[in-house]
Amino acid sequence: MGNIEALDRRQFLVTTAVVGGGFSLGLTFGTGEANASLEAPWGKTPAAPEFTPWLSIAADDTITVRVATPEIGNGVMTQAAMTIAEELGCDWTKVRCEFAPPARNLAENGVYAKAGAGLAYFSGRSTVEDRLQLGLQVGASARERLKTAAAQQWKIPVSGVEVANSVLTHKATGRTLTFGQVAAKAAGVKLAQEPTPKPQEEWTLLGKKSVGKINNAAIVNGTAVYGMDVILPGMLYAALKQAPVHGGKLKSYDASKVEKMPGVVAVVVVDPEAPLAELKIPFGMANSAAQHGIAVVAEHYWQAVKALEALPVEWDSGPGGQWKTTSQVYDAARKALDKPGSKVDKEAGDIASLDRQPKIVEATYLTPYSEHAFIEPLNGTALVTADGVEVWHPSQHSENGLWVAAHEAGVAPEKVKFNQTYVGGAFGRRVFGNDLRMVVAVAKKVPGRPVHVIWSREETTRQGRYRHMIAARFKAGLDADGKPQAFLARSASTPGLSGAGLLNTPFAGGQIKNVRYESEMLPLHIMTGPYRGPSYNSYAFMMETFIDECAHACGADPLAYRLKLLEGWDDEGWAKTLKEVAAKAEWGKKLPKGMGQGIAIANWGGNGKPKTGTTVAIVALAEVTTQGALKVHQIDVAFDTGRIVNQDAVHTELVGGTIFGLNMALNEELTIKDGRIVEGNYDTYPTLKIGDIPKINIHFGALTGHDRFAEVGEPPVGPVGPAIGNAIFKATGQRIRQMPFRKLDLAWA
Amino acid sequence: MAVQLTVNNQVQNVDADPSTPLLWVLRDHLGMTGTKFGCGLAQCGACTVHIDGIATRSCQVPLEAVAGANITTIEGLAVNSDHVLQKLWVEMNVPQCGYCQTGVLMAAAALLKQVPKPTDQEIDLHVSNICRCGTYPRIRAAIHKAAEMMSA
Ligand code: FES
Ligand code: FES
Repeated sequence: MGNIEALDRRQFLVTTAVVGGGFSLGLTFGTGEANASLEAPWGKTPAAPEFTPWLSIAADDTITVRVATPEIGNGVMTQAAMTIAEELGCDWTKVRCEFAPPARNLAENGVYAKAGAGLAYFSGRSTVEDRLQLGLQVGASARERLKTAAAQQWKIPVSGVEVANSVLTHKATGRTLTFGQVAAKAAGVKLAQEPTPKPQEEWTLLGKKSVGKINNAAIVNGTAVYGMDVILPGMLYAALKQAPVHGGKLKSYDASKVEKMPGVVAVVVVDPEAPLAELKIPFGMANSAAQHGIAVVAEHYWQAVKALEALPVEWDSGPGGQWKTTSQVYDAARKALDKPGSKVDKEAGDIASLDRQPKIVEATYLTPYSEHAFIEPLNGTALVTADGVEVWHPSQHSENGLWVAAHEAGVAPEKVKFNQTYVGGAFGRRVFGNDLRMVVAVAKKVPGRPVHVIWSREETTRQGRYRHMIAARFKAGLDADGKPQAFLARSASTPGLSGAGLLNTPFAGGQIKNVRYESEMLPLHIMTGPYRGPSYNSYAFMMETFIDECAHACGADPLAYRLKLLEGWDDEGWAKTLKEVAAKAEWGKKLPKGMGQGIAIANWGGNGKPKTGTTVAIVALAEVTTQGALKVHQIDVAFDTGRIVNQDAVHTELVGGTIFGLNMALNEELTIKDGRIVEGNYDTYPTLKIGDIPKINIHFGALTGHDRFAEVGEPPVGPVGPAIGNAIFKATGQRIRQMPFRKLDLAWA
Repeated sequence: MAVQLTVNNQVQNVDADPSTPLLWVLRDHLGMTGTKFGCGLAQCGACTVHIDGIATRSCQVPLEAVAGANITTIEGLAVNSDHVLQKLWVEMNVPQCGYCQTGVLMAAAALLKQVPKPTDQEIDLHVSNICRCGTYPRIRAAIHKAAEMMSA
């Protein structure tokens, strides 16, 4: 190999294939061959016979499964393919996936999902429940068509054809055909009746085999294309700054100071108040609103970064500037709890009976704003032309993204092409497309060339849509037996969160007869949004710490107390997870002073209804030195999702969710100074590393087998914190009522 | 003035602002996107490459500092991407979102070269990358298994 000159990229890349009528650009590969096999998870299907919009089979036997849900690391892509493979009878190594284009959904009248349909369609989260029947039917219907086509070719009855490993066999003669050899004919076969998928008991893949992620190979060789990795012919880069106080405005800037810097193409202002053309949109757009911002667009990323740094900019803080410190915010939240909340989320029985109970327990809790802190910073690429807009984005909701792009670019939705890339973590942050709107807002000012807009890590952190700050006060009246007869909950949070998340327990679902849940909204400017297990991630901590406080108030063992509270609850999964985790963690074993076990249980997705959602019980083993240094030694997890389809995938998600919950409880807090978020990078927003991780044991023995496949990504996030907090109490006698624990003084003597 | 460096055994002449971090030289100027941008502050390790064999966070190294250097990225870690770590990563289903993993693999590969049978403490010290998805237990298990296989 001779020297390869690093020519200006545009000189190289004009050769890129133009697909689909001159509007769709392919990915390009920089210099040399290194990236020639980039794995772009969209729009690369060669023309192949299509059975349904979800499935094509090519002559070379390649099976393409189209997945509507973005892959955010939770394995939905693999899951979608597995479900179809269960019925199809294919060779798993021939299966590949790409993301279903939302533009096709629009053009073909909702072939994938009704526009604006439930989150689980084009939005990244667990999909087993929603997609199970669909995937099985797609697989079964395609298999029957393949069999029919083979039978027709052999002139035999269909019953004589067997299917395995992508091969059709005529039992009697041993003749064979591959899927690819009959796919073209099979795709056109009309069946008198669609087949019925086999019953669960006969599954051979789902629930039976652990299948690794189908995109693992592309991940480990570096070819998987995340949003950050998009490179296009003639592409420009933009570095972006948004108003540092959320809701603030751009006051002044001096573009002349940077316009002549090398590579600078434009200085672009994003003004959310600039009017947009009317568009009838099937989604709420409030959460995707643009923010005031300014970007430098340049030929190369580093040129854009340097010019943005050099650009003189002044901001107006707006109303958010009044919040000078974090404690001012927390004080306001706690103060709101002193009077009844203006909204009543639930009331049942007679709350006035609370004060007549022999024992009263009352406590106040607080959880802070937290940032998603995924490793791929916010970014996206857009090309705006006279014909429309094409975007490449690590979205958590690709269909929403299509509409955001249309709205911001001022074009009809049919003029948008949305390319879903891989996503370097999302955790709820990338659902609403406010990031994509900023991308299009910048790119439309530089039409004709694709612009890749990148937020620095600091901007990503400071311009988040955070886990809500929540303060809550709980009060319970316990009867002579120690059982809560009445429960009053008051919570204060910020716009976008309802106190209703607190109802996600059996206690709201009838286990306590007299309840009142009130909530209050504070007029805070800090932007919030879904964060892994929205609101549950705070309320589970508060509720399960409070239950521990009640147990302690009546001298009961925390495990025995919880089991007592669950008596009569119409879902044995709760007691089962508690018993399983307690047995496996050797609950109650003798420990030296300064060490303690804590237990907690919570349910995500059940909305206070039995046999719904995922129940997770955790026992944590923690140690606190007399100086207050905290070490979590071990976390045991038991859970009930009803049933599972991929044991290894469930295991890895539960471990990941547990670590996420651990970091949230121990480390995470965004603080405020003069209305701005202080933390910017991982040095000030610490994240656990490999050496900080306790032993984590996932126990499968609590599965009830109830007929549901509830999700596992979010549920563990809830009970980790309270289990550790309760362990700290056991070890030191200090009750933990606030996150993050690293900022608490845990010293004891 | 172009700076000459060798990336995965290919000589490259890069004409860019000499303060451009190697990370962006690789990604933006050479189109090699396997090396990831995560923090730009030597915190996360997503940008880890080998410079003359040493695992280095490429977001901290300006182009001018790597003139004449020999750089290995994930694209060049092994022919056909069949480094034992890469194979085990697939087999043991290590990645979740996967974004951090190329950096983790580069750190782990350098460690195994230096310390063929690393202890847990050595892994903690040398593989200090951030994985927000929480794949750490599998990363550790896969490194230990690779060490075993390589010494067998
Ligand atoms: S991007 Fe270099 S260490 Fe994070
Ligand atoms: S696998 Fe997602 S950050 Fe590591």
